[in-house]
Amino acid sequence: MDQAAIHATGLHKSFGDTHAVRGVDLSVPRGEVFGFLGPNGAGKSTVVKIILGLVQATAGDVTVLGHPAGSLAARRRIGFLPETFRFHEWMHASEFLDFHGRLAGLDRDTRSRRVPEMLELVGLAQRRRDRLATFSKGMLQRIGLAQALLAEPPLVVLDEPTSALDPIGRRDVRDIIRALRAGGTTVFLNSHLLSEIEQVCDQVAIINRGQVVAAGDLRQLLAAREVELRLGDGADAALRAAGLEPLSARPDEGRYTLTAGSDEEIARITANLAGAGVSIYEVQVRSNSLEDLFVRLADSTDQ
Amino acid sequence: MSLWIVADHTLREAVRRRVVLAAAVVIGGFLALYGVGVWFGYRDISTDPDLTASMQRVIVGFMLQGGMWSLNFVASLLAIFLAVGSISGEIDQGTMHAVAARPLRRSSIVLGKFLGNLLLLTVFIGISTAVMIAVVAIITGQFAERAWTAPFAMLFAAAVLLAVTIAGSTRLGTLANGVVVFTLYAVALVGGVIEQIGNFLDNPVTFDIGIATSVLLPTRALWDLAGAQLAQQSGSTTGMTGGPFSSLNPPSGWMLLVAAVYLVLALAYAVRAFQRRDI
Repeated sequence: MDQAAIHATGLHKSFGDTHAVRGVDLSVPRGEVFGFLGPNGAGKSTVVKIILGLVQATAGDVTVLGHPAGSLAARRRIGFLPETFRFHEWMHASEFLDFHGRLAGLDRDTRSRRVPEMLELVGLAQRRRDRLATFSKGMLQRIGLAQALLAEPPLVVLDEPTSALDPIGRRDVRDIIRALRAGGTTVFLNSHLLSEIEQVCDQVAIINRGQVVAAGDLRQLLAAREVELRLGDGADAALRAAGLEPLSARPDEGRYTLTAGSDEEIARITANLAGAGVSIYEVQVRSNSLEDLFVRLADSTDQ
Repeated sequence: MSLWIVADHTLREAVRRRVVLAAAVVIGGFLALYGVGVWFGYRDISTDPDLTASMQRVIVGFMLQGGMWSLNFVASLLAIFLAVGSISGEIDQGTMHAVAARPLRRSSIVLGKFLGNLLLLTVFIGISTAVMIAVVAIITGQFAERAWTAPFAMLFAAAVLLAVTIAGSTRLGTLANGVVVFTLYAVALVGGVIEQIGNFLDNPVTFDIGIATSVLLPTRALWDLAGAQLAQQSGSTTGMTGGPFSSLNPPSGWMLLVAAVYLVLALAYAVRAFQRRDI
């Protein structure tokens, strides 16, 4: 269990009568980029806030690098970019980072080294003496990222880190995330941008209506295909005998939809059916994009 | 220590957002006007043949008392304004999230904000009362040794108001908190006058209502302690006392203890409420 950067079991959170989170289990491996996605109102931000100790769970356990979420020890190990990226705008950029460095417990020498480094990293070195009030939204998001990475935490939680950035800014952030992974940092990435998740994440969890509806290695999840079959008589019995559960079935038309994790599995299914004497008239294989997966999972739990 | 980092941040914020400058300009203007008023007032009373030296002393004392009362009022308002949105305002704006995710206790955030604002009020009260006492002493040649109790009473009252306002801010939005705290303050202020009326009419119910408001918020009672010292200093007994500036019946020293307990309870509540609050 200590191997996980974040380990959550049976997480629940209610706000009055609203159950924002209902039984979330999560395991985020160390040193990987973990994508956390779900539709609006799915409970993503609440889970993120529980991990950070900003919100207290109604029930369940969360540990961060082996420490209870919200404890000082856990918070010492996390860098956080909030979704709102609103900061004290009367401060200068370098003064703002210095303040957060002090809060993170960095000594003066470390701060005087890390603050310029971070400003350089997010492309704001020229603006270090400017007040945050003069910053654009994109610049505020960049300085927020610098603030999250300042203390070189082993876990970085980024809540929608590119929502205000232009395409170049987004690419920069992706490069930063990859560099963090290369350096052994765990990144927990909360994002709506599926392309971003596809490009940088190793593992993902998809949450809907306060529950995790899919989780695992991104490539394995995407490798799952939908196989549409048009079959002859005896299909029902043959599928049952082979232990195959169709996603949907219209036996009167002989149409069945199955999922398969790989090409080999599709070959095995068709061989199985042919072996049982079922005629196969049509096989259509549809590969999943993350978007397909996302929409299908969001729809299926909404029904 | 993170408490000091938050206190330092709070102080810097007040300076950088020009709160200090605005307060300095307004109070500087008030003190200048006050000095002119005292100068003309003293010129009249010092040349009036009908006034004895002791009566002049009482009038000068009354002018100082009124001035101090005004400073107390401004310090109280400043305490409320400084703290009214200190917690909920930062949560609503989203500036609290990055800070509260850092490895510092929520109590450090609450107490750091209290301390930072209290330091600011200490400087404000210290300078403005010192200037006022000096202005009166220079113009009238009358130095009120016991006037030093006034800044302490003001600071104590401001600290109580700060603690109550911060406590309110952990649960209420900025506007609602401002309404609640200012109403409490006004009730306590008016309660002091009601207490005097009760005393004057010898009506115990009215008197007790006045006392009750002091327990609701002991700011007015704290001022009364200083007001009584100022009144005694100038040698006035009954004629010039009463009204909003001082009390006929200054509260006993126990009021200090009540106010201290009140302050500690308000801060404890603020810490506890903020610890439990989801951000």
